[in-house]
Amino acid sequence: MNDQVGGNQKQARFQRLCQSLRPDLLRFAFWLSRDRALAEDVVQEAMLRAWKAQDSLLDEAAAKPWFLTIIRREYARSFERKRFVTVDVDELVAREEPMLAAADEQDLAEMRAAMFKLADEYREPLMMQVLLGLSTADIARELNLSGAAVLTRLFRARKQLRVLCGEDTSLDPQE
Amino acid sequence: MMDCTAYRRSMMADPADPNVELREHRDGCHECTKFTDKLLSFEARLHRAARVTLPAGQPAAQPAVPLRPRAAPRAIGHRKGMLAMAASVLLAVVVAGVLWVAAPGASLAADVVTHMGGEPDSWLQTDVSVDNSELQGVLRDSHVRLAAGAGLVSYAASCAFRGHHVPHLVIQTESGPITVMVLVHESVQKPVRFDEQGYRGVIVPVAGHGSLAVLTHGPATDIKTVELIAAQVLDSITWTS
Repeated sequence: MNDQVGGNQKQARFQRLCQSLRPDLLRFAFWLSRDRALAEDVVQEAMLRAWKAQDSLLDEAAAKPWFLTIIRREYARSFERKRFVTVDVDELVAREEPMLAAADEQDLAEMRAAMFKLADEYREPLMMQVLLGLSTADIARELNLSGAAVLTRLFRARKQLRVLCGEDTSLDPQE
Repeated sequence: MMDCTAYRRSMMADPADPNVELREHRDGCHECTKFTDKLLSFEARLHRAARVTLPAGQPAAQPAVPLRPRAAPRAIGHRKGMLAMAASVLLAVVVAGVLWVAAPGASLAADVVTHMGGEPDSWLQTDVSVDNSELQGVLRDSHVRLAAGAGLVSYAASCAFRGHHVPHLVIQTESGPITVMVLVHESVQKPVRFDEQGYRGVIVPVAGHGSLAVLTHGPATDIKTVELIAAQVLDSITWTS
């Protein structure tokens, strides 16, 4: 009986953890895939896998990188299942307008369009840092890169974004 | 000694890097202070831009994973089995009830801490305030007003929490950023202190308006200071309904 109550409490706790992380994981999947429908599918599948594998999450403090790994693997699997057609970035921006729109804040809409244009190798670590709050070490582990390589990508990501957004870059350092 | 190029490269790679060398260089370099102010303003916009609106029909409070499928109906066993099952259910309900009554504050605190894990970027130390219309929108939805002297609010969101949308604010104080959650639907009998997963805070009762959670991240601020800040925040809040 105690085992059952403990199990139920553990599952309820895991459910709450999933609920609290899901919004940002969905946002991350969106920035990863640049496709709302695909992001929803990936996160839903990832949550199911996480649910089945919840016993392997030993430390709740490490939940975010744990979920992130599952989502990235699920995203990679989606490529195995489906052959994607190459789409122009401007077309993508137009298609995902409901997710990108910020009617009252034009500068946010411009920033989002610029983020869409970043190469995957820059956008992904940037979103891991900005959206999920991962440390450089966590990002390096997830992307199988050195810490220095991650910092270089993050620097280039912001540098390109600032140019794309028309920021004053006169004080920005060169490469 | 760090030069300006190294400083700016580091800041553009990780503007939240707490490295002391970075701070020392910034404090002694006027140009880099100017650069940092602009970069942090850009960074605040980047953080807001990253938080795209979730698609309709996907509210944050939606169950993240499906409930386990119900077991297929089975043939009813004999009377003894039924009684045993009923006793089990009753015992489970009683145990759950006792746990709930015994530690509602602790459970609420755990949920607050869990919620924090989902919004790490809100803790950015900055001098850039959130857009006023965004802040007023969050407060208006919960019938709350915040006095101008409450401090610089750098983050405001209406967050799904235990089935309700509640204001989640980050206020920049001398002790660093602190998070405030206005929990109109959650009552506690007395102040509940908590120190979990790197978050230290207090949930204080608010007569007629549920409770208020105030917390800091990291070991720098002691609980007495958090309680003092909580009292100041409480003083600056007015409920409009």
